[in-house]
Amino acid sequence: MTTELNRAMDTLGKQTDKSASAKQVPPYFLSYTVADATNISIRAEYGALVDSTGGHQRVVDVQVRVGEPKLDNTHGTHRGSAVNTLELPLANDREALSRSLWLATNSGYGTALDNYLRVKTEAEVRAKEEDNSGDFSTEAPQVSINKPAPDPVVDKAAWEDRVRALSKVFREYPDVYRNIVMLTAQSETDYFTSSEGSRLVNPHQSARLIVFAVTRADDGMDLYRAQTFEAETVAGLPKQAELEAAMRELGKSLEALRSAPLTEPFKGPAILSGRAAAVFFHEVLGHRLEGQRQRGEEEGQTFTKEVGKAVLPSFLSVSDDPTRAKFGDTWLSGTYSYDDEGQKAQKVDLIQDGVLKTFLMSRLPIANFGTSNGHGRGQIGRVPNGRQGNLIVTSTKQVPESELRKMLIEEARKQGKPYGLYFEDISSGFAVTTRSSPQAFSVVPLVVYRVYVDGRPDELVRGVSIVGTPLTAMNAIVATGDKSDIFNGECGAESGSIPVSAVAPAMLLTGIETQKQQQGTERVPILPNPSANATAQGKGN
Amino acid sequence: MTSKSLTLSLASAALLTAMLGSAVIGHAQQTRADAEKDPVLKAMLTELDRNKDQLQLKGFAKPFFLQYRLEDIDDYQAKADFGASVGDGRRHQRVARVTVRVGDYKIDSSTSRGDGAVELAALDNDPLALRAGLWQATDQAYKAALSAYAQKQAQLKQVQTPPQQDDFSQETPVISLEETVHLQVDGPAWVKLTSESSGLYRTNPSLKATEKDVQYSSASFHARAVNTYLVSSEGAIVRKGSTSYDESFAVGTQAADGMHLDRSYDSNGLQVSDIDSPDAFNKHVVSLVASLADLRKAPLVEEEYHGPVLLSADAAADTMHDLVASAVTATRPELGTEARTKGAFASSYHARVLPEFLDVVDDPGLKSFNGKTLIGAYKIDDEGVPAQTVKLIAGGRLESYLIGREPVRDFPRSNGHGRAALTGPARPEISVLDITAKDGLSEDDLNKKLLALAKDRGLKSVYFIETMGPELTPRLLYRISADGDAAGKRELVRGATVDDLDQRTLRTGVIAAGKDPFIANYDGAVPQTILAPALLFDDVTIRRANEKNDKLPFYPPPS
Repeated sequence: MTTELNRAMDTLGKQTDKSASAKQVPPYFLSYTVADATNISIRAEYGALVDSTGGHQRVVDVQVRVGEPKLDNTHGTHRGSAVNTLELPLANDREALSRSLWLATNSGYGTALDNYLRVKTEAEVRAKEEDNSGDFSTEAPQVSINKPAPDPVVDKAAWEDRVRALSKVFREYPDVYRNIVMLTAQSETDYFTSSEGSRLVNPHQSARLIVFAVTRADDGMDLYRAQTFEAETVAGLPKQAELEAAMRELGKSLEALRSAPLTEPFKGPAILSGRAAAVFFHEVLGHRLEGQRQRGEEEGQTFTKEVGKAVLPSFLSVSDDPTRAKFGDTWLSGTYSYDDEGQKAQKVDLIQDGVLKTFLMSRLPIANFGTSNGHGRGQIGRVPNGRQGNLIVTSTKQVPESELRKMLIEEARKQGKPYGLYFEDISSGFAVTTRSSPQAFSVVPLVVYRVYVDGRPDELVRGVSIVGTPLTAMNAIVATGDKSDIFNGECGAESGSIPVSAVAPAMLLTGIETQKQQQGTERVPILPNPSANATAQGKGN
Repeated sequence: MTSKSLTLSLASAALLTAMLGSAVIGHAQQTRADAEKDPVLKAMLTELDRNKDQLQLKGFAKPFFLQYRLEDIDDYQAKADFGASVGDGRRHQRVARVTVRVGDYKIDSSTSRGDGAVELAALDNDPLALRAGLWQATDQAYKAALSAYAQKQAQLKQVQTPPQQDDFSQETPVISLEETVHLQVDGPAWVKLTSESSGLYRTNPSLKATEKDVQYSSASFHARAVNTYLVSSEGAIVRKGSTSYDESFAVGTQAADGMHLDRSYDSNGLQVSDIDSPDAFNKHVVSLVASLADLRKAPLVEEEYHGPVLLSADAAADTMHDLVASAVTATRPELGTEARTKGAFASSYHARVLPEFLDVVDDPGLKSFNGKTLIGAYKIDDEGVPAQTVKLIAGGRLESYLIGREPVRDFPRSNGHGRAALTGPARPEISVLDITAKDGLSEDDLNKKLLALAKDRGLKSVYFIETMGPELTPRLLYRISADGDAAGKRELVRGATVDDLDQRTLRTGVIAAGKDPFIANYDGAVPQTILAPALLFDDVTIRRANEKNDKLPFYPPPS
């Protein structure tokens, strides 16, 4: 890799003869990122396997930059032109590997030249940009050679049985019309080499069990629950009995949800469970603290001018710490040692005592923040951006959760409301931060209870959606619980899908606004579910 | 092997009975009881019966037709670039497609989009899981059919001209159970073979000199076994299987002026024994890579040429594939029109579409020709209708169309050509399209005729297209001198495109055809075969393509 990279660096744009590359601008930066990944995937539906497959792939991202760090081919909307992707031979066949790298470098360089020309033209005709930061930060080269990741150890037959058995649990719940249980295990080794002298070999392993189950209320509202379990390897996933119990909880929850009353529009106090708060902070706050969202004409720039100012109540702090592998006993899936631009992972204190300090930085500089803080992340094939790793929310105003509940009831009473809301589970939607879209987060509440002031039992409601602006909602936080909950997941954005975690305690908000969401109008299935257990069949439909 | 020959004879007996139109259950006739021994068919039939009996939304019509088609797909692929494998993988999946029609045979809910719902199905032969997937898909398909039917009723009220033909044809249901097929592949061997083939550009001594010019060199192998299970509310029960094996190679370079030069080769068949031996395949690879050097040296075609052009049987097969294969299929025309069908031959029934000396037959029963397997052949189509041989064009005149269960005017029944891509809806498609010429000429005579034409018209040279690339662009094109002593001398040229190669030219511009057909197997979404002779065209335009010539590599490849 390094040999071929150096050869390209030494040759491109530097030939003196009359060949085609005469008078071309040479690249000032070149990097090769190779992801060598072995995957296993097992999937069951309705109690039977539908897929069980695996594979081994090597893919290279060649990053070529021409021009200068101040202005290069990746400027503005040309950011994608930095990367050219190609599948690489699996065998360690030097000739085939270097030939493939040459092919990708050659076409990447062509794209870079073309885009650089356009960038320069655009720069000449355009008025001054809001943020005139350069396009690539100066960083020290990194060298860290570690052992490649071992192949994932998965007893395929045993896991096929386990996944099948988990899916079969839903036969006890005839109104769960569809269920998917999927196990994925991946072992990846990332190789990185750059013209700046970085050389990295880093292993990464992950195992994930994903459950998705769907029902529909009689009025046509689609209702779903999703749950995931993560560990570094499949050996670290929960025991089968524990997982089966979790399936039953999901099944019961969906059957309860489909017969739950519809929500009413509401404006008042609410508690977000730790898990719900973690998703909420990841979507609503985390994405808006990504460095690249602070520049660019299309971005919302919610926090751009808020540095040094209070953006949260003073008892809350938020950091992102990819160097942390565990929280308590739970493995954090957003863990990594070097980011996808070859920078060392760092713990970044984003918000301290409510005051915004910095952003999640890749090597794309922004006004006042000229360097990376090890958060340049992306899926192979995409240009890395500032992204979250393990987002951790901490609080100095903690009360036991039972106390938090009392405070909720008290607050509801004070506001003259018959109840407050308890958000047990919310699903991560996609945070929209561009200027042309409304500045609202799209988290989808899945399980919400009314907590009555008059002592009635809590009541599950369905169809709740949150309205209002994110900043307002976050400033209404008045206290937190004393236990943190962890959300492990995959996060999708412009630079692709990456594993992340978010950790937060439960939170009490004095004011949140919700409305009824209409989702789906299709009728429930006409005939009963044929896969339901005979015993379960009686109580359904 | 013995069980296989038994299957074949059983199936052909069933086919024979069906083709005689006999509804009498003969001695060898398979029954539903036979089908129910198969756990997949049993689950499908159980769920089909339940839905047939009970599926109805209050206040709406029950479906009049339900069909489940489940495809069990076992697939293996290996790919190699520049002499090394980039990976191989095997995947086994089952996919069910459920079709529901409401209304009646005359007017139903079907649209031109291809209706139905598609669902992943259980790999385990677990009856409850298999049925659950079908249940969901049937529910969805029925609701969609109800709404499509209402929409169609509304559309019918807007047009004066009533539909020219029923929406759905009545067919005698068949029960036909073939043995299932299985994929036999030696993965590591194919990883090795594809690696070797893709590396010949640098390992074969005869190619070593041009090694650096090669910009990509890619070999791949694809094997697949598909077992199709089909049941319908009319009583059809079909189990059929097919395997396919395909090895291909592609290589490319640029000429000094930047023009991209590409060659590819493909060897396919129904059994692994049908495809080239490694030696034979690699011989093709070597000749393909070597041809790049010739192409790089080849002069550019002249700016524009009008005159006689000879298409090899290979190039003619590609031409007929592009111009005739889709034109001879009949699909339902737009509502409210008097059209018979859609496509290039929509109004050509009984009209001349080819020269008088050409006949075209689509023969799904033609399984091999000159010892070569024809992959387009099949016995029962994907709507459960036995395949029929159809005389499409006789003496140049269009006498019939290929049709599935959606009739058009004068063609009220299917002729067993409703064919589907994996998981897709069935549409009429060719099987083995056999194009023959009366008094076809030998290759020699065709060349003589070509030169004679040149002489008559005072042309210095004429053209011969040996192979076509995508979109009927010549890949190997020769300029043939018609001048004095050099007459007959061939020179490879590059950078050409062909104009005027269309249905009109086929009808009026073919002067002569060859005797021996080329066998072109198209291993696409629906396997097809074309047997076509060489064709001599009277007046075709060949001109410079003037495609964008990309930059040459910015730096040389590694050594």
